[in-house]
This record gives sequence, C-alpha cells and structure tokens, in this order.
Amino acid sequence: MSKSILGLFQQPETAADAMDGLKEAGFELGTFDVLTGTPYPEGAFGEYVPQHRLFRFPAFGAIIGFTLSVFLTSVTQLAYPMVTGGKPILSIFAMLIIMYEMTMLAGVIATVIGIIFESRLPNMQPGIYDTRITEGWIGVVITFDDESKVADAESVLNKAGALEIKHA
Amino acid sequence: MASQAVAYESEHHAPPPNVDADLVARELIATTTGASGRFKAWTWGLGILSIAGIVALILKFIDQSDDSTKWGYVAAMVSFLLSVAGGAPMVAMAPVMAKANWVRPITRIASLFSFAGVATLIMLIPLVAILPPLVTEGARRRTVWYMAPDYSPHFWTTLSLVLLLITGIALFYSAAIPDFASMRDHSNGWRQRLGKRLARGWVGTDAQWRTLRMRIGMFGTFYFLILVFVNFLFSTDFGQSMVPGWRDAIFPMYHTVSGFQAGVAGVVIALYFSRKYMKLEKYIHLDAFWSLGRLLFALTLLWIYFFYSSFIVFWYGRSENDIATLDLLIKGPMIYAFFAGMILLWFVPWWILIWNKVRRGTTMMVVGSFIILLGLLIDRIRTFVPAWSVPGDQIHEKWLKVIPETVWPDIFDILIMAGGISLVAFIVMMMTRVIPVLSVWQVQEFNLLAKPIKYIKGHATLVAKPD
Amino acid sequence: MQQRRELDQVYTNRKLLNGQLDTPKWWLPTVSILGVVVLIGVIVIATMINKGLGVTGLARPVFWGLFITTFVFWVGISHAGIMISAILRLTQAEWRRPVTRAAELLTVFSLLTALVFPLIHAGRPWRIAYWIMPYDVARGIYPNIRSPLIMDPVAISTYLTGSTLFLYIALLPDLGNLRDRTTGWKNAMYTVLSLGWRGNPRQWKMQTVGGILLSALMLPIFVSVHSIVSWDFAIASAVEGWHSTIFAPYFVIGAVHSGVSAVVTMMALMRWLWKWDDFIRPEHFDALARLLIVVATGWLAFTFLELTFALYGQDAPEIALREMQMFQWPWNALFIVFFLTAYAIPVPMWLFKRVRTNIALMFWTSILVNIGMWLERFLIIVPGLARRTPFVYTWEAYRPSAVEWTIFIWSFAWVTFLMLLFSKFFPLVPLFEQKESQVFTDDVMIGRAKIPAIVREAD
Repeated sequence: MSKSILGLFQQPETAADAMDGLKEAGFELGTFDVLTGTPYPEGAFGEYVPQHRLFRFPAFGAIIGFTLSVFLTSVTQLAYPMVTGGKPILSIFAMLIIMYEMTMLAGVIATVIGIIFESRLPNMQPGIYDTRITEGWIGVVITFDDESKVADAESVLNKAGALEIKHA
Repeated sequence: MASQAVAYESEHHAPPPNVDADLVARELIATTTGASGRFKAWTWGLGILSIAGIVALILKFIDQSDDSTKWGYVAAMVSFLLSVAGGAPMVAMAPVMAKANWVRPITRIASLFSFAGVATLIMLIPLVAILPPLVTEGARRRTVWYMAPDYSPHFWTTLSLVLLLITGIALFYSAAIPDFASMRDHSNGWRQRLGKRLARGWVGTDAQWRTLRMRIGMFGTFYFLILVFVNFLFSTDFGQSMVPGWRDAIFPMYHTVSGFQAGVAGVVIALYFSRKYMKLEKYIHLDAFWSLGRLLFALTLLWIYFFYSSFIVFWYGRSENDIATLDLLIKGPMIYAFFAGMILLWFVPWWILIWNKVRRGTTMMVVGSFIILLGLLIDRIRTFVPAWSVPGDQIHEKWLKVIPETVWPDIFDILIMAGGISLVAFIVMMMTRVIPVLSVWQVQEFNLLAKPIKYIKGHATLVAKPD
Repeated sequence: MQQRRELDQVYTNRKLLNGQLDTPKWWLPTVSILGVVVLIGVIVIATMINKGLGVTGLARPVFWGLFITTFVFWVGISHAGIMISAILRLTQAEWRRPVTRAAELLTVFSLLTALVFPLIHAGRPWRIAYWIMPYDVARGIYPNIRSPLIMDPVAISTYLTGSTLFLYIALLPDLGNLRDRTTGWKNAMYTVLSLGWRGNPRQWKMQTVGGILLSALMLPIFVSVHSIVSWDFAIASAVEGWHSTIFAPYFVIGAVHSGVSAVVTMMALMRWLWKWDDFIRPEHFDALARLLIVVATGWLAFTFLELTFALYGQDAPEIALREMQMFQWPWNALFIVFFLTAYAIPVPMWLFKRVRTNIALMFWTSILVNIGMWLERFLIIVPGLARRTPFVYTWEAYRPSAVEWTIFIWSFAWVTFLMLLFSKFFPLVPLFEQKESQVFTDDVMIGRAKIPAIVREAD
C-alpha cells in the first residue's frame, strides 16, 4: 500500500523550491503534486501540467443530443401527424429549434461529466490533506511505493522550508 | 508579491519580449518608406482597377439611369463597402471602450479604413440620383419617413454617409497626432513636413494626453452612433422600402451586425498582410489574431441568429406579404445566392474559427476572413439586387404580387464591383505610405503596460490597468 | 480605476462564510415572513387550480395577462446570470468576481419561478404531466413541436439544467472550503457534495478550462431562450403589435437590462445584509452601471426600431393599437411610467460617477428599471389582445384580480426565500474567485504611479 507525506508551506516560493528539489532528487513526475486553496498561473510551481481531453466531451455530447433530437422531432411527428397552420408535417425550420436546444443540452451535460471526470472526481478517499490549505497554506504531497525514499523526501521538504510535515 | 518584471530568454511558450520605445518609433516610421516592388505592383494594379470601376459607374449612369431595376448590384456594392469600410474602424473603437489591452497596437490599421469611406460615397452618388422619391405617380410608398419631404431619404443618407466619413477621419486624426509628432521628429522630406503640420505642436504634456483621450472617446461614440444610423437609413431606404410588403424590423440591425463582421474580417486581412510583408511580427502578436478570432466567431454566430429571427417570423406568419418576402429574398430568384451566402458567411467560418489552433495562428484566420467577405458580398447581392429589381409599378401594392426574375450582373456591374473593392484596398495601402500602419504611441503604451514576467517558476504577462 | 485590496485567506473565509458558519440575526425572521407569504401564495395557487381560471381577470379576448407578463419578466431576470458569469469570464473582466455566483443563483431560481407560471396557467395543469410520459397517444396526438409553447419548456429546461450544473461545478472549490471549516453533519454533507475536492493543479485547470467551455456553451443557450419566448408572440400574425421580426433580440437585450439591474439590487442587499464592504465595493457598481448604460441604450434603439416598423406598414389596426398604447387611458399612464422608469430616469443618472458609486442610488434606480421592464412586457402583451373586442362578446377591459396579484407577489417572495435558504448552506460570493484575484493581481510602479495590474497566463 502506498504511503504519502504532505509538506505544508505558507509562501508559494518555498513550495515551488520544494517542487524543484523533488525533481532534482529524482522523484518521478506524477508522484508529487501541489495542493492550493486558490488557482495559481499554470506552471507557477514548476508542476507537471496535466494533459486533458475535456474538449472531446462536448463534441460527443452534442452528437448524441443532435441524433436524439432528430429522432424525437421527426419520428413523433410522423407517428402522430397533425397539420397545423398549413405547415408540412416535417417542418425543418421549426424542428431546428428543438434540435438546437437538445444538442446544446447534451453538450453541456457531457461537458459537466467531463469536468468531473477529468478532475478525477468523485474521489471519496482523496488521501492526505490539511484543512489549512483552504486558508492560504500550500501543500506539497508525495506518494511512495517504496518507503525507503520517505526520508529523502522529508529532507527535501525541510530544506525548502516546510513548516510541518504530515504522514499518512 | 511573487512576480518580478524581468526580461528573460525567450522560450517557445513565453510571451514575446517588449521592444524599446525608441526602436518602436524608428522601425514603425521606417515602414512608411521603401515600398517593395510587390507593393508597388499591387498598388498600380488596384489603382487601375479602381479607375476602371469609376469609369464603368459613369458609363452605367449615362446608359442606364432611366431604369432603376438595373442598379441592384451597385446598391449591393455600396452596402458592402459601407459594411467593410464603415465597420472596420469599430475595431479601433469598441475594444478601446472596453479597455482591452490587445487592441492598442492595431487601432491604426482599423481606423485607416475610414478613409476608404470615400469609395462608398463615390458609389452612392449615382444611386441617390436614381432612387425614386417618396411620392411617385401621386402615391407615397411605405417608408420610415411617413409624411417627411419627398427627397428625405436622398438627403439624409448622403448627409449621414458624409458625416460618417468626417467622423471616421476625425477619429483617425485625434489618435494619430502623437504619431505625426513622431514623424516630425524621426522622418524626413515631405513626411517630416506633413508630420510637423499635422502634429500641431504636440509635445506630450499631461493636458495634451488628456485632451487626446477625451477626443478619441467622443469621436468614437459619435462614430458608432452615426454608423448605426447610416446602416438603418441605407438598409431601409435603399433596400426594404423598394419592395412592397417587406416589413422587417430586424433588417437594419442585421445589416449593422453583418457589417461589423465584415469590418473585423477586413482588419484581420489587413493585419495579416502588414505583419507578413512589412515584417511586423514583433509588434503584431498572435494575441491580436486570437482576440479578433473570438470576436469574428461571435459575430458569425450573431449573423445566423439575426437571419433566423427574421426568417422564422415570416415563415410562421404565412400572410401574403410574408410569403412574398420569403420568395423574393430566399426561395425565388436568389436561392443560389442565399445558400452560397449562408455557407460562406456562417457555416464555413463557424467550422474554421471554432478551433483554438486556428485562432492562435494567422493563415486560416485570413482564409476565414476572405470567405466571410465573399459571403457578405453575395449576401448583399441577395438582399439588394432583388429589391431594386422590383419594377416601379408594383411599389404601391400591399405585397409583391409578381416575383421578378433573377437579375444577372452586366459588364458595368462586374467592373464596378471589382473597382469598388480595389479602391478600398488601394486607399488603405496608400495611407500606409503617409502614416505608420501601426500606431507608434499605442505600441509604446502596450509595451509600457504589458510586461512578460516570471511568476514564481512559470511565465506570465503582467498587464497594468490604469483605466 | 480598480482598487487592489490585500485580503488574506483566513479573513476572506471568515467574512464570506459568515452566512454558513453563523446565522445573521435578521435571517430567521426574514425567512419566516417570506415563508408565510410563500405559503399564502401556494394556497392561492391551489385554490385557483381547484376553482379554475375564472377566479382571475382573464377572459376573452385577453387570455394572456399578468401571469404571462410575469413569466416573461422572470425569464428576463434569469439572463443576468449568464451575462455576468459567462461573458465577463470570457472577456476576463476582473470586476465580475463578487457577482458571478449570486447572478447564477438568481438565474436558477428565477427560471424555476418562471416555469411555474405556464404550469398554473393551464386550465387543467395536471394534464401537463402527460407531456412527458406517457402522453395520451391513445387519442392519436403528440405534442406539436412546431408550437413555441412546446419550444419554450424545452429551451427553459435546457437553460435551467445548464445553469444549475454550471453553478454546481463552480461551487466545488467552495464546498471543499466549507468541508474544511465545519464539523458534524455539516462536514459530512459538504464532504459528499465536494466529491473529494483537493485543489491540485489538475482540478484547478479543469475549473478554468471547464468554466470557459461551459460559458461558451451557455451563451448561445442564453440568447436562444428569450428569443424562443419572444417567438410565442412574434409568430402570431393575427395579434396587432406582435408580428415583428425584431422581437427576439429586443427581448434578449431587454432581459439583459432587467437582469443586470436585478443583480445590482441583489448586490446592494448582499453588501448591506452580510456586511461585505471589503468584497462588494463601489467600483463594482460603477462597472455594472457603465455596462447598464450601454445595454439600456441598445435596448432603447431596439424599442425605437420596433415602434418605427410597427408604423412602417401603415396598417390601420396597428396604428390604432399604438395610439391606444400611448394616448388612451389607462395605457398612456402605464406607458409614461414605463418609459420614465426603464430609461429616462435611471440612465441619465448613471452618467454621473457620483451616482454610479453611490450604492443606495444604484439600488433604487435598479428597482425602477425592473418596474419599467415589467410594464414593458405588460404593454406588449395585453393591449394587442385587448383590441380584439370586435370578435368577442365582451365589454369589459382586462383587470387583474386579487388572485393574480397575490401570485405575482408570491413569485418575488419565492425567489427571495430560495436565495436566503441557499445562503444558509452555500456562500453567495465565490471564495476561490476572490482569492484568485489576490493571486492574479498586483501593483506595478510606472514612474511614481502605482497602477493595479493583472497577471495573464502565458500560452
């Protein structure tokens, strides 16, 4: 079972130094991460910038929504035809509105699913954490498969100026 | 604070470094001189085509001034030129009002288009002569003028277009004074004399800068109001009121918004060619294309929104005039123009501009912009040509009883269209010989306010917001 | 100029979470009174459903009166959320930060309220359930998708779903914050709702990219919703004053006008009630008022176009309608009040910076705008219908009954009640956005001047 430690910092510069130190000490990218209570400009901590596929979700959702809407608007009107105002049974211009709304709805729902999924949520056992992170403290968390490296990591964190180190 | 305003070595994703103010002035003023062979060839070619267009206009007036049904293509051309030359300076004005930083370097190239309003005015003159008065054969046709004097549309459209030209030039001039001063200080020959005259003693005191900003704000606001007014007048008097039963409250706004779309497309094209052939990559950043791309994308979507809002009300209404209007403008003589216009003005640009990669580059942006301009020209032909092709004897009907046949352009129309477009390009190109294509003082201001910084371990830009 | 305040995160947490971690003294009495009004409204609605629409003033030819006016009004108010949240997010306007969540919330609750009106307006509201599943297909009919009355619920539900999901996604970081600040059952509730939020770069990147993507998707929906509502009227060529192509953008811009004004009202109340002077500052009202001037003037241009082209056709019934609307009692009085309150009084006042930064004046002028905009919808809907008397055997003008007025008042109480309930459990001002503004802003010295600056990420 993997072990984690969390180093707590009050200044972003010291947290960034810790991240640099971990890289230099040979820790693999992806085994350490930074936790903050507010977003920082990307790359501010020299962290691993995650690749994401979020843009595929709305596209996929829109295709599904569009297909369903074409089905709903055309099949129902053909199954139960009712002439209104002299308009054709399959009135593409009127159908366009429902098709548009359902396409957008499916796109939005898919995007929301995508955001939650790409954020790797829900994660009801998120691991080591400290509530001071949402008060402005910055956490640097390292996960180990090999417990022998814990001491190295602790020394890097202390050298960078960690105010506290928690273990899980 | 974690940020430090320092210059650093350029990395592939770092923002471009700032350029020293003195170098900015010298390099940008140098762009007004030393035109390349290619530039000269293009200006000669465009100049010749422009003259051909004006000659064709005169000949057409001599030959066909008694038949208004043959003037639809000229009306479409005036509308097109109004949209491009009138809409482009909005890029100089609207983002400035919204306090956007990215627009500072490119306001000059947008405001140069106001000089091209001369082309619009030239094309308008014969059209005003041909437009029938409000009362013909004892009956008053339906217009927005109600009981106003018979020649109100003629007078007010011409006046407002002249005012637009004057306000556009005033907007250009008020923002150009510091650059004329730079020309006075850094260039020679006639440019130096011109700069000295037009700088009017500019030295850059606090009071002068305050007055400058106030004038830009004031002329910008007036320009916007007059532009909307001109679009309203031209689209109704030279479009809607030529067709009995065509009552479309959204048409003036549709005309205005598609005009902005064309104006932004025109600015993108001008930016692309300036950046490439005048070697201005240091000053015209990809940021400008990114922001203009988003604006162009939004305007493209607005086009279909305005079009559909108008269409669906006619389609549902199904009264005689609704059906006749749809037949005239969409399903009847203009069906191919309608599909071509919709595809080029909305569908294709939508699928080009939706990609982040396109908006972060230049090539596909300019391709998309050319497609939009072509689409707008076809769309204007679709609306104005059938409107003018309605014969005078139908004008007092409640709705259009006989849908006229498709009117095809003759040789005069083709030369006039080519000449009009060439004249706009010619004027903009010639103005770049008179004044730097990018605003020197605004590039300097941009560099002063936006600095690349190192943010802890990452890169960012620090943008000061003094307003 | 935007002022930059240095506010540390502990202070931000304490102040902005005061609604959730403590209960303000005024909260319980206010919610109780509103609850009573809501209950009375529900009883009146139930009575109306029991007794039928005859208890209202609706009769031939005015079948659409107060209820539909209020329906369109609440749909209009709902447009504030996306305007502020999405457009200002996409244009990276810093001053949106305190406002976004309250605006999105107003969107959600006003849409919920708007949806109630067509439901109770039906003669047999219980049959509306059959629209969904299963429809009464035994009689060989199915909802007619060519009808805007079908398009309306589809559009409004889409907008409602989208806004609710957008609100939830943007709430995730603050739910994590609340989880960290609470214990007991509240902690359990926020732990579940926050889905395990930690605040690593991946999650923050998804907030930023996802926020932009959702904003870009919600904007076209926002434009389409009120356009579809406007087409309820615009497609009807038989009613004077309705068959105009400009209704779609006219309604949308009117909705933005009334919605943003409602946000101004709400922000003033939030600042006063929760004492958020450090977060909701005069410069926010200044920026909103400048936006309102542009939007209101655009709205005025559209009003002018609508009137011009109504008279353009020189159709005698249309001209008679406009004469009735502007010159005949009681419509002329309503028209004057509408124009004064919607534009002529507030907008000239907003031209002065002293007014724009005076929060009390902004509060009252924003209320005036919404009175005017409600009257605008009333003047669009009712006079056109009222003029159809030659076809029906009625001699009475439309007069809303006490039932209609009660339900109208209920709608305001209901929205406020929901907002206050929400504020007990979730913060009305997004904390992470406030903290983000501390990180993403700085002061830069240019010569001797200290200028506020914004940090923009590199590509």
